[in-house]
Amino acid sequence: MKKTFPVAAVLTALFAASFFIVPLIATFYFSLKMTRGELGFAAYASVFNSAAFLNTIVYSTVASLIAILIGAVIIVPTAYWVRLKVPKLRPVVEFISLLPLIVPPVVLVFGYIRLFGSNSWLPLTSSAFGTDVLLVIGYVVLSMPYMFRAVDNGMAAIDITTLTEAAESLGASRLRTITTVIFPNVRAAIISGAFLTFSISLGEFVLASLLNRPAFGPYLVQLGQDRAYEPAALAIMSFGFTWGCMVLMQLFATKKPGQRWLPRFAQRTTP
Amino acid sequence: MTLDVSASTAELGAPAPRRRGVREIDWNWLGVTPFFLFAFLFLIGPVLYLVVGAFQNAEGAFTFANIIELGSPNIVASFSLSIRLSLLSALMGAVAGLLLGQAVILGGLPVWVRNAFTTFSGVASNFAGVPLAFAFIATLGRLGLVTVLLRDLFGINLYASGFNLFSFVGLSIVYLYFQLPLMFLIIAPALDGLKTEWREAAEILGASRRQYWQMVGLPVLTPTILGCFLLLFANAFGTLATVYALMGSGFDVVPIVLFQQIRGNVLYNPNLGYALALGMVVIMGVSNTLYLILRNRAERWQK
Amino acid sequence: MSFLSITNAVKTFGTNTVVKGFDLSVQKGEFVSFLGPSGCGKTTVLRMIAGFERPTSGKITIDGRDVTDAAPNKRRIGMVFQAYALFPNMNVFGNIAFGLKIAGLDKAAVETRVREMLGLIGLANLAERYPYELSGGQQQRVALARALAPKPQVLLLDEPLSALDAKIRVSLREEIRAIQRQLGITTVFVTHDQEEAMSISDRIVVMNGGRADQIGTPSEIYNRPRTRFVAGFVGTLNVLKAQVDNRSPHKVMVGGQVVELAQPVETADATGHLSLALRPEALSLTPSETRNVTFEGRVEGVNFMGSVIRIRLKVGSEIISFDMFNSPNLVPPSIGQTASAHFASRDAFEISA
Repeated sequence: MKKTFPVAAVLTALFAASFFIVPLIATFYFSLKMTRGELGFAAYASVFNSAAFLNTIVYSTVASLIAILIGAVIIVPTAYWVRLKVPKLRPVVEFISLLPLIVPPVVLVFGYIRLFGSNSWLPLTSSAFGTDVLLVIGYVVLSMPYMFRAVDNGMAAIDITTLTEAAESLGASRLRTITTVIFPNVRAAIISGAFLTFSISLGEFVLASLLNRPAFGPYLVQLGQDRAYEPAALAIMSFGFTWGCMVLMQLFATKKPGQRWLPRFAQRTTP
Repeated sequence: MTLDVSASTAELGAPAPRRRGVREIDWNWLGVTPFFLFAFLFLIGPVLYLVVGAFQNAEGAFTFANIIELGSPNIVASFSLSIRLSLLSALMGAVAGLLLGQAVILGGLPVWVRNAFTTFSGVASNFAGVPLAFAFIATLGRLGLVTVLLRDLFGINLYASGFNLFSFVGLSIVYLYFQLPLMFLIIAPALDGLKTEWREAAEILGASRRQYWQMVGLPVLTPTILGCFLLLFANAFGTLATVYALMGSGFDVVPIVLFQQIRGNVLYNPNLGYALALGMVVIMGVSNTLYLILRNRAERWQK
Repeated sequence: MSFLSITNAVKTFGTNTVVKGFDLSVQKGEFVSFLGPSGCGKTTVLRMIAGFERPTSGKITIDGRDVTDAAPNKRRIGMVFQAYALFPNMNVFGNIAFGLKIAGLDKAAVETRVREMLGLIGLANLAERYPYELSGGQQQRVALARALAPKPQVLLLDEPLSALDAKIRVSLREEIRAIQRQLGITTVFVTHDQEEAMSISDRIVVMNGGRADQIGTPSEIYNRPRTRFVAGFVGTLNVLKAQVDNRSPHKVMVGGQVVELAQPVETADATGHLSLALRPEALSLTPSETRNVTFEGRVEGVNFMGSVIRIRLKVGSEIISFDMFNSPNLVPPSIGQTASAHFASRDAFEISA
């Protein structure tokens, strides 16, 4: 088989690469042009100095973190239980966990507003706190497919059924098994799912906007309508943030249980 | 009961008495209750509420009126716009993703190229919404870098020649930024799954490269390609934030129309909103289901 | 007159030379096996014959025609892969017909030929099935039919039975051999299973580290192995340390006993030490006239293997392993017992260390 230089492949790859990179370069360049006539980070400074930015990003961060927590608390035991005790229900649980991919956020929030509105059976939207709760719950639902899949994959990788049987044959109670055997081994998978959730929830727009909460997403849109250079700066920061989340997500997804977090610097001597 | 316990204790010598069968099943179902409760309350419930409401009028009586009103010219125009945009975007993404996948995975390029694209695609497929819109405004907007460069370096006046970022075509280009990576990520394992032995077997039986692709390669990939197309379609159909950030509320794709309904900016008719929501869920549901069916078919062949 | 000949084939990948000078002449209709451990280069040579690897140097001719540089799709070779490689989007009929369609046969001719092949492999009723609906053995038979349908000059099989269950492996290899005999097609068969190679080949090429250590009939390879590697790889081997006996070039001392070899000693080192090899079937618990050498030792292990019982005897510091046929009334020795193993001098042969 003769080896010829893959011209077509190289051109295709270059074309795709430029399609991906050029907008990033353009955005970055644009974000540096705030001060007339020179390139500088004025746009970024403006963003960080803005109170609205700090408030909304804190709000969204807190909301995302709580959503991750709730999601983990609901999904991890469920994934474990389904694998161990009721495998027949697994297809059902998996199907439900994938439903949020079919339901667009706008439909979901519409349902929330009607079902939990001011004159409904559970008027969550009548109070700011109640609406906050609803927002967080919305984030949990939106991230459910990814969280469930991450945790489920993590549990599949360590063969949870056999581990549990081994632990119990050695005399451990169910709770002890969960805390000392199962949880440490799926910790990485949970964190992996958490990063994906964080990346989705931080800049989320539809739910936050329609539920009228002071989150980061609506702030971004508002800024886009009012300012010219700050949105570009935020776009770059957002891309960097998403990149960071994805890298960390991958790192934790592939981390084996017991693997060191940082490389070993000194050799431990064994007696 | 006493007989059972003493018998098993004698046999096993274990201190704990055996659980009876019925108790065990109760416990098992209890374990998944929080999940189902949460799902019904916050996912299935709201959607069902909307679906049922689509068939009711303001007084709660059963009616098809809302469904019929979906046929009104405005709504039809919205659905048509959404479907056309999603079809175009899916087609662009599918073709581009397939070409990129073919080039990077089967084209004889070094492995680091593939890894770079895979990592980037993981990020880019999630980089939708508002920041993406901003990025493209900075690139292809009236004062965007590429627009300016084309004008100053090549003398091409993009906007004078009819191009507009804030249009149907412009929007589909923006969509491509997250559709292409998604297609690439999904088609990559399928391209990997094209076993080299198939190509070799075809070759030793006399086939040329083209014949292999025509008779084996593409037919094997087709379920995955079609499935992915449907996934991209659903993905584009449900997109709201990107459109909103780029076009404002004036571009009447179905999600935006529903958005305006909810906001109360348009004549507030909740039951029509329900019908719109139903329409969206049906379209997304059908395309995702078809995607799953096609994916299963493809996996069966890759056995 | 050789039908398929490989002359001094060498294959180098980067700095790694995988095939270090390989020569072979295969007669028309002959069934030759390449036998060796993983990494010995047997699959590489096969792929060079097929055309998937180009030899770094050397020549390959088929029926007088130099095919060294010919593309794989122009060599008229049939190949069966370890992983079956059936096209998943076609049913059995479509798979077998593939090569015929490429060759441009008309529909009727294709139909006739495919039906013929289906009859040959005995799967006429499965023509409509798809590969994922077939068992491993069935898939491999279809792969065989697909390779043979376009009437190739040479048939290559790359470890075709390795992925199958033990029982299927045995029955299918017989079937392959029977079909090959019936069609008279020149065949090269790659395997790492020595039992497989020995049971169906006309000749075996035992490969080691990129070279052919020995080429011969199964009987030659087994009974007269040329190198230590061949002796060890094919069948079980007992290796004993022996010492040259000054009284005669044929005599050696093993464990204090005199053993008279059939051939004069050739491989003794400077100190007069050499290695003797003994097949398990040469030893027996029962003495006889011909078995003139006796070793006494302690039974270390008794393995019941069905029709054969394998016994491990510790003689001095060495462990000898030998087989005895199982018999309904036989009571095998127990571990820890003292026992005597007897063998005939002429059954021992020298082996290079």
